[in-house]
Amino acid sequence: MLPADCSRRLVAELQGALDACAQRQLQLEQSLRVCRRLLQAWEPPGTWTWEPPPEPETNEEDPLPACTPSPQDLKELEFLTQALEKAVRVRRGITKAGERNKAPSLKSRSIVTSPGTTASTPPQSPGQAGGHASDTRPTKGLRQTTVPAKGRPERQLPSVRDRTRAGIGARAPRPGAGLRNQHMAPSAAPQAPEAFTLKEKGHLLRLPAAFRKAASQNSSLWVQLSSMQTSDSMDAAAAKTQFLQNIQTASGGSQPRLSAAEVEAEARRLRKACSLLRLRVREELSAAPMDWMQEYRCLLTLEGLQAMVGQCLQRLQELRAAVAERPPLPCPVGRPPRASPSCGGRAEPTWSPQLLVYSSTQELQTLAALKLRVAVLDQQIHLEKVLMAELLPLVSAAQPEGPSWLTLCRAAHSLLCEGGARVLTILRDESVD
Amino acid sequence: MRRRRVDPAAGARAGALPEAIAALSRSLPSGPRPEIFRRAKFDRPEATSALWQLLFRVLSPLPAGNALASIALEVQARLVKSALCSQGYPRLALAQLPEDGSQGSRELLLALSWLLARGPVPEQMLAQTRVPLGDEMTVCQCEALASLVPPAPHMEAEGPVDVRHVQWLMGKLRFRWRQLVSSQQEQCALLSKIHLYTRGCHSDQNLGHLSVTEAEMLRDPEGGQKVSGAGAAQNLDLAYPKGLHFCTPGMGPRTFWNDLWLVPRLLPGDWAAPLDPGGASACSLLSPLRVLLRTLERESRRLEAVLAWRRAEPVFWQWMDTVLGTCAPEAPAAASQPTFLPWVPECGDGELELVVRELQTLEEELREAVERRRVAWEAKARGCGRGPEWSAARRASRETVEKELGALQRCWEQESGPAPAHGPHRLVRREDGAAGDRDLRAAELIRTLRSQEACLEAVLRQLQGQCRQELARLAGALPGLIWILPPGR
Repeated sequence: MLPADCSRRLVAELQGALDACAQRQLQLEQSLRVCRRLLQAWEPPGTWTWEPPPEPETNEEDPLPACTPSPQDLKELEFLTQALEKAVRVRRGITKAGERNKAPSLKSRSIVTSPGTTASTPPQSPGQAGGHASDTRPTKGLRQTTVPAKGRPERQLPSVRDRTRAGIGARAPRPGAGLRNQHMAPSAAPQAPEAFTLKEKGHLLRLPAAFRKAASQNSSLWVQLSSMQTSDSMDAAAAKTQFLQNIQTASGGSQPRLSAAEVEAEARRLRKACSLLRLRVREELSAAPMDWMQEYRCLLTLEGLQAMVGQCLQRLQELRAAVAERPPLPCPVGRPPRASPSCGGRAEPTWSPQLLVYSSTQELQTLAALKLRVAVLDQQIHLEKVLMAELLPLVSAAQPEGPSWLTLCRAAHSLLCEGGARVLTILRDESVD
Repeated sequence: MRRRRVDPAAGARAGALPEAIAALSRSLPSGPRPEIFRRAKFDRPEATSALWQLLFRVLSPLPAGNALASIALEVQARLVKSALCSQGYPRLALAQLPEDGSQGSRELLLALSWLLARGPVPEQMLAQTRVPLGDEMTVCQCEALASLVPPAPHMEAEGPVDVRHVQWLMGKLRFRWRQLVSSQQEQCALLSKIHLYTRGCHSDQNLGHLSVTEAEMLRDPEGGQKVSGAGAAQNLDLAYPKGLHFCTPGMGPRTFWNDLWLVPRLLPGDWAAPLDPGGASACSLLSPLRVLLRTLERESRRLEAVLAWRRAEPVFWQWMDTVLGTCAPEAPAAASQPTFLPWVPECGDGELELVVRELQTLEEELREAVERRRVAWEAKARGCGRGPEWSAARRASRETVEKELGALQRCWEQESGPAPAHGPHRLVRREDGAAGDRDLRAAELIRTLRSQEACLEAVLRQLQGQCRQELARLAGALPGLIWILPPGR
């Protein structure tokens, strides 16, 4: 059995690592659920073309042109062109078709609607619309230009307009859709919509206009912000430095107290230095010099490394002394990441969202796998150091008798030398003398 | 008061200051009304609690949420004091302020300005709550993950534990690592497919395809078919397993920030939906589309405010100088530091110890090796003659070595080298892999990561080798045992 405090520390450390992994796994699984769902066939939601009603705060008195998502417009265009075709036929041909028109046009509308409610816009409709009515092409002009011009479809059109206006007022998408359905004949429920899959029809998706507008405004503001960042005005910067100095002198502190964050950063730097130095020392020690020149260089390198190690140690001792004498008030672990000078403060972070471009699934997977591997290695190294600090003293201090010591040895070896992956075997050598 | 521009001339100061303060308060999340700032200059007590709360919001590493607002003012005040102290805030008067919000607004104003002077606070806060429209991946390995959730405060191990339990935990950890790898591979494959299939959809030509967030929004703008948890924000951040060293040797797992997390843990929806800026949770009332639009709008307004603040800044600093002037100068720091946080454990002193020990062992090793080699070298050098080319060669060697070692030192002196930009990046799939000059290419990142991986593997192997030697030494002392090492890799 391990002593109590040692146990506590080890278990806490390992449990922390386990929890971190569990959280990450949870995140991944959530994300996987979403992705899988997206790749399956969707239930085309009947109201996905709903346009978001304008917020009361935004002063948009005329919501129609701005907020209309184009799939809806294109659907209406489709309807219109169908109606126009009918109108042309009626005018040319049989008069009594006028009576029939209501039903077929409505039915055609419902037929148009149902595949139209799938997320994709039939690619022909823009072409058709372009062919038949060139001035209906701009979606904004849809209502203005076509309404006065056409006679026959006019009856249906006001219903469209009313519906959209009512839809705005209604604020709830389902009543809006229901309204539309009521206006027309009881249209059949969207009959057997072709299953929409991202694979086949994904490229036909279009983002709603409101979203596009908001997103583009947002990104242009970010770009403005980052360009302003880089050209920070001189007087502002000077004023800030002056203010900081003033505060420092006004508080009577001759030298700024070391903040715990800075101590941590320095310690981190020195840790990195240590591992780099150690690597280098190993390299040099294991290299076999060919000639005297190489030998000389090797010697010089080792001496230089020795000097550097000495310097680092000295800095560490100074750090420890400073901490002991004027303890920076302890930093909370998980302190505000902004405070850490290593990252956010030092490297001027650019604020505008940046892209990470990849070219194939393979590449993305490699990238992600490597990131994970580096993170895991980091964790492993940290655990290794902790285990070394805890277990090695125990092994050396324990009395080497009895099976418990052997258990400890085996466990220590497995954990420390094999990363917990393999265990060695110990045989008692009962040589018969 | 209706001036549009900051006029550096003194006469304009009167008009520009209120604008500057108004911009500042709009640019900060839950920023107080502008007159709070003015009252604070005169140290009016009614401005105090608003400023405590603002400071807490700025300094807290946690994302906003209903949970945060419900923390008592005293607790907020204490945490603010501690956080400021750990950043090295010089004024002692702050530490001595009462925590009930009854006085000290001027000190708090000074503290806020100190923070504003040190770093781009409004921008950082904006970046913290940025709406991730795309599929994001962070590039740097720093621990700047504001949405970290510390481990649950589980039962501490009661009493001594068998070492086999430790082995078991380790095995469990290895299993979890493997699980992560496979889940992640799958996620990347799916993500890549989604990007591929939605090629040509996006209004922004630069991006070219939809992200999962956007596709999800199209699929289900009402959120009526939602699954538990918000599918909206996709953060592929893969630095999780690394940075969470909440427990360093010598430090218990409980810290007061951990205690703070007890509150959000009761509302898991909060952290799962980082889009939630304190408003209605995305899971309940509003559709994802509406939430997204609303948050985008809010962010745009904040961005505009930040831009206005940056333009009007110099005026603010002039004013702050006057505020500072009204304070009495403080006496130099007394020897004793008030430890007003009795339950905070000692800081990671263990970390320093570890490093010191490592360096000391290294020093020992080097000392022996260098001595040996120096002696051998001197002996050899005596044999060779002296001559100009000899000393020239030696000088050349010295210079080379110095250069190499200098480069080595720069490796850790410079924090991030040619800093790959920090923060999350939006993943974009392009067949040709073309990227603008500000964008990152996956291939380069992969190269960097591979070298990092090699470095870390070397370190790990070295540590393991050290342990092997040490254990062999300890165990070898005992006769009568045969140690059969497991089959090598």
